[in-house]
Amino acid sequence: MIISYNWLKEFVDCDLPPSELADLLTMLGLEVEGMRHLGAGFDGVVVAVVEEKAQHPNADKLSLCKVNDGVRIHTVVCGAQNFSAGDKVALARLGTVLPGDFKIKKSKIRGEESCGMLCSEKELGLAAESAGIMILTTDAPLGTPLFESLGLKDTIFEIGLTPNRADCLSVIGVAREVAAKLGKTIRFPGYVINECGPPIAKVAMVTVEDSDLCPRYAARYLTGCVIAPSPAWLVSRLEAVGMRSINNVVDVTNYVLMEYGHPLHAFDFDRLSGGKIIVRRAEVGELFKTLDGQERPLLSTDLTIRDGERAVALAGIMGGENSEIAPDSTNILLESACFDPSAVRRSSKRLGLHTESSHRFERGADISIVTQALDRAAALMAELAGGVVAQGIIDIYPDKVHPRQLHVRLERINAILGTALTGAQVTEIFTSLQFHVHESEPGSMIVSVPTFRVDIHREIDLIEEVARLHGFNAIPGTMPTARVFSDRPPLRQTMAKSLRDLLTAHGFSEVVNFSFFGIDLLDKLLLPPEDTRRQTIRLLNPLSDDLAVMRTTLLPGLLQSAERNLSRRSLNLRLFELRRVYHPVPGEELAHEPLYLGGILTGRRHPEGWNHETAVIDFFDVKGVLENIFAQFRVRGIVYDSGNLEPFYHPGKGCTLVVGNEIIGSCGELHPDLLERFSIEQPLYYLELNFEKLLLKCGAAIAVVPPSRYPDTFRDIALLVDDSLPAAAVLDTIRGQKIKELEGVELFDLYTGQGIAEGKKSIAVRVRYRSPDRTLTDDEVTPLHARIIDNLVKKLAITVR
Amino acid sequence: MKQQLDALSDAMFAHLAVVSSEKELQELKIRYLGKKGELTAVMKRLATLSAEDRPTMGQAINSIKERFEEEVASRLTGMKESDKLRRLASERIDVTLPGRQSAVGTRHPVTLVMEEVSEIFAGLGFQVAEGPEIELDFYNFEALNFPKDHPARDMQDTFFLEGERLLRTHTSPVQVRTMLRHAPPVRIIAPGTVYRCDSDATHSPMFHQIEGLMVDKGITFGDLKGILTIFLNQYFGKGIGMRLRPSYFPFTEPSAEVDIACVICKGKGCRVCKNSGWLEILGAGMVDPEVFRHVGYDPDAVTGFAFGMGIERLAMLKYGINDMRFLFENDIRFLSQF
Repeated sequence: MIISYNWLKEFVDCDLPPSELADLLTMLGLEVEGMRHLGAGFDGVVVAVVEEKAQHPNADKLSLCKVNDGVRIHTVVCGAQNFSAGDKVALARLGTVLPGDFKIKKSKIRGEESCGMLCSEKELGLAAESAGIMILTTDAPLGTPLFESLGLKDTIFEIGLTPNRADCLSVIGVAREVAAKLGKTIRFPGYVINECGPPIAKVAMVTVEDSDLCPRYAARYLTGCVIAPSPAWLVSRLEAVGMRSINNVVDVTNYVLMEYGHPLHAFDFDRLSGGKIIVRRAEVGELFKTLDGQERPLLSTDLTIRDGERAVALAGIMGGENSEIAPDSTNILLESACFDPSAVRRSSKRLGLHTESSHRFERGADISIVTQALDRAAALMAELAGGVVAQGIIDIYPDKVHPRQLHVRLERINAILGTALTGAQVTEIFTSLQFHVHESEPGSMIVSVPTFRVDIHREIDLIEEVARLHGFNAIPGTMPTARVFSDRPPLRQTMAKSLRDLLTAHGFSEVVNFSFFGIDLLDKLLLPPEDTRRQTIRLLNPLSDDLAVMRTTLLPGLLQSAERNLSRRSLNLRLFELRRVYHPVPGEELAHEPLYLGGILTGRRHPEGWNHETAVIDFFDVKGVLENIFAQFRVRGIVYDSGNLEPFYHPGKGCTLVVGNEIIGSCGELHPDLLERFSIEQPLYYLELNFEKLLLKCGAAIAVVPPSRYPDTFRDIALLVDDSLPAAAVLDTIRGQKIKELEGVELFDLYTGQGIAEGKKSIAVRVRYRSPDRTLTDDEVTPLHARIIDNLVKKLAITVR
Repeated sequence: MKQQLDALSDAMFAHLAVVSSEKELQELKIRYLGKKGELTAVMKRLATLSAEDRPTMGQAINSIKERFEEEVASRLTGMKESDKLRRLASERIDVTLPGRQSAVGTRHPVTLVMEEVSEIFAGLGFQVAEGPEIELDFYNFEALNFPKDHPARDMQDTFFLEGERLLRTHTSPVQVRTMLRHAPPVRIIAPGTVYRCDSDATHSPMFHQIEGLMVDKGITFGDLKGILTIFLNQYFGKGIGMRLRPSYFPFTEPSAEVDIACVICKGKGCRVCKNSGWLEILGAGMVDPEVFRHVGYDPDAVTGFAFGMGIERLAMLKYGINDMRFLFENDIRFLSQF
C-alpha cells in the first residue's frame, strides 16, 4: 500500500516529521517498508523574480538578468526568450544539484559571470519537454522552495500491510489509524451531488440474482460526460501512489478507490444491452474478454456482472472490454458493490488475475461505505467530466449489516497481556478506534465494532486492539511462573549430537543438501528398477526438474557436494550429512522420514603437511570410522557382509553392515561407473547408516572385567590360508575357543606375493594370554596355544608356517 | 716403597687431572685399580713388608685408592652433566613448523545455530520436539487458523505433493501435533526444516526454523516478552535492544514481529537494516483461541505464547554471511570456517 503524506493530511491533522510518522505507523502494525521524498534535492530551487533583463554584451541570443530570491540579487545569464522583467521564475541557486548530477556552479558565459540558473520544467523533471523557462503564477514569497510552492513536496510511504488489515487499504483507512493514535478526529471528503438528470429507475435496472455472492450492489447514472485527460492535480495524486492516469472518468474511480479503499467500476452505459445489469454466476464454458484484452474461460463459480445478453465484468476483479469507457463514451453507469471474499479469491487465483479491486474484496470490503464512495465518485465525475448525475440511487442491500456487538472482559484483557489496565483506559482506546463502548457491568463491556473492521469478530481481536494502541513496548516483560516438569532429552537427540561430535572429531564436515532432487539421479546410482528407493514422493509444483522429488537416499547429494568441491580443487574431503530421507508408505497419509547418516571420504588419509604420511584413504579408513561409531554407541555383533552388496559399490570393495538379521547400513569404495557419471576422477569411499535402526541396536550393557595385576604372555602364529578365506574366520575361530586365559588376539600382518603360492595369503596373529590371579608359566601356556593351533588347522584347512 | 707409592699417587692424580672423556676415565680406573692395575700391584706387594710397616702402608694405599675412586666418581658425574648440557644445547627444533594435526571437521552453521538456540531454551525448561516435514493441510494450515480461500495463505508459498500432502511451510505444525498428544503444561522448542516455493539471494526453497511454544495457566504477553528478552540477550549478547511491533499471524493473537537493534550498525542505520536501525528477527504472539479449540484445550483455562524464527537469518547475522546460497553450496572452504 502506497500512501502520500499530503493526501493523508487532507483527512487528519498531523504535522509529525515523515520519519516520526513512519515510526508511528510501524509501531501500529502498519510496517513502513520504504519512504520517498518527492522534491527532495530541489530545495535549492526557489521562487524568484526577474528584476532586470538586459542583452548580453557578447552574445545575441543570451540575456543578462538580475534575479531577486528575497535574500539578494543574483546575476544570471539565460538563453531562453520566453520571459520578461517582473516574471516570477524558478531559480536554481549556486550549489544546487539538478537531476543527472548537474551541479550549478559560478561560471563565465561569454565573458559575463552567471551565478545560478533559471530552470525549465524539463530540467526540474516536471515535464517531458518544455519551451523556455518555467514562468510561475504563485503568490508564494520569494525564496520559497519551488516544490513547496507548487504543493509537490511530499513524502510517499510504502506500507507492508498484513492480510488482516483490509481497512487500511486506503488513505482514509491509514488516516483513521493516525487519528486514533494521535487522539485526533478524522475529516471525510466534502462533496455535493447535484442530481438533475432523469430518475435513475427510468433508465437503468439492476437485478442481483446471486445475492449470496453479492450482498450489496449500488449504482448511479451520469449523462453527458466528456472523456478527457484528467487535471494535473489528479494525475499527480495517482502517480504519487503508483497509478497510471487513463482518463478523467476512470481516474475518478481509481482516486476514490485509493481514498476510501472501495473499488468502483464505470460502465459505458450505451454499450450495456437493454440498459440492464444482472449479477449472476457465469455460464459454464463461457468466454469473457477482460479489459486487459485476454479471453478467459469462466466456470459456474465465477460471479459476473451481465447486461441483457452477456457478461460485462468479472465481479470485483476486472471489467470487460465490451463495456469499457471509450473516448466517445458519454453516459456512464457507476457501480459500487460488495462481493463475497472467498468467491473473488477463488476466481482471481484460478485466472491468475490479481487487481487492486480483487485485492480489496478478497480481504473484505466495508459494506457500509458503498454508497458514500459511490456518491463521492459521482460528484467528482460530474465536476471533472461535466456529467449530469441522474436523480436517485440504486442500492440493492437486502440484509443490512450492523456493527458487530462483542463482549470483552477487563480481567481477560489483563490476563492475556500481563497488564493492569483500567476500564477507563480500555474505553479510551476503543473510542479512539471509533468503537462504541456500552459498559454493561463493572469489569465487562459490550463493544460495537464498525463494519470497516472486518478483522474483528472475537474478544481476543479486541484484546489485540488494546495491546496495539496501548503499545507493545509499554507492556512490561515478566518471567512466567511455570510448573516444574522434567524429561530427559530423547535418545535420538543426544545421539545425533554425539554422532556429529564423533564425525567432526574424525575430520568430517557437515553438509546440508536440499531434501528434493531430480529423479534422473536414481538412474545414475545404478539402482535396479525394483529398488524401493525408486518409489519417490513427487512435488506437484517443483521449482525445477532438479528439485522435483523428495530424496530417498543421501548419496546423490553427497556426490554432488564432493564433485563441486573437487572441481574447486579441494581434493581431500570428508563430508557427512545427518538428515532425513523420504519414503512413501502405502495406505498412510504421512511419509516415512527416517534420519540417515551418509559420509564420503576421498584424498589423503592425513592432512597435507611437511611431516605427514602421504598415504591415500582406503576401505579400512571408512571401516575404522564405522567401528568407532559402533564402539561409542555400544553396538555389538556387527557383521561386515560382502554379500548383498549395494549396486553403487565397487564389486570387490564394499559391504553391508548387518546386526542381528538386519541391514543397518553399508560402506565401501564407490563404483567407478558411478563416479564417472558424477564427473569424479578420484576414488571415493562412502558410508551409510540408517540412524533409526542404529538407535534400536545401540546401548549394549557394560559388564566390567577387572583388569588383571599379572603380566601377559603372547605367542605369534603365522598362517598360510586360501586367499578367499576371510580374516574374520581366523580371528573368530581363535576367539571362539573356550580358554579363560585367552585375553585377546590381533592380526598384525597380512602378506601375499613373493614366497607365497598363488591363491594363498599369509596371516600373522598374536594371541595374548593372561590370568587374573597369577603369572602364567611357559608350561601352562604351551598346551593352551597348541589347542588353538589344532583347532585352526582342523576347522579352517590352513597351514601353520 | 713409600717413595714408589708417592710417585704412583702423584702420577695417578696427575693423569686423572688431564682425562677428558668417560672412556679415558674408565681406562684410567682399570690401569690403576684393575686386577692388574698399578696400585693393585703395589697392594699385592704389602705381603712382603714387615708386620709393623704393613698397616701404615696398607692405610696409605687404601687412602689413595679411596681418594682416587671418589675423584673418579666425581669426574664422572661432572662429565655426564656436561655431556647432557652439551647434548641439550645441540638439540634444537623449529617450534614454528606446523604441528602434526589430525583432520578435524566442522558442524554446519545451521546445526550450530539450532543447537545453540535449543540449548538456551533447554535451560529455560523447553523440550525439543519434532514433526514430519511432509505434512497435511490440517496441521500446517487448518488447525493453525488459516482458513481455506483466505489471503493469509498467500503469506506462505506452498510446495504441494501427490496425495493431498504438502511440504510444511513452517515449524508451527509441531505445535499442533504436540498439543494434540499432551495435556498442558507444554513447553517445547521445535527446530526443523521447512519449505517454500521461492528462490533468490535471500530466499531458499528449503530453509530452517525454530519454533517455541509455552502453554500453562496464566501465561501472558508480558511473559513472552520476558522469555524473548532472555533469549536474545543470551544469543546476541547482553543489552541488545529489542522492540515488538504489532503484526499478523493467523495462529497467534496478539501477534508481534520482534526486532533487535541492528547488529551491524548498532542501530545507527545501514544497508543491512535498510537504515531503520532495526532487524526483524522473529515472529511471536499469544496462541490464538482458535488453535486451542482445534487441539481440545480450553482457552479460558490456559493461555500460551508461541514464537518462530529463521535459523538462516540468525546464522547470517551472527556469522556475517551475506548470501544465503553459501549455506547450501557445501563448499568446504566455507564450511571449515565454523
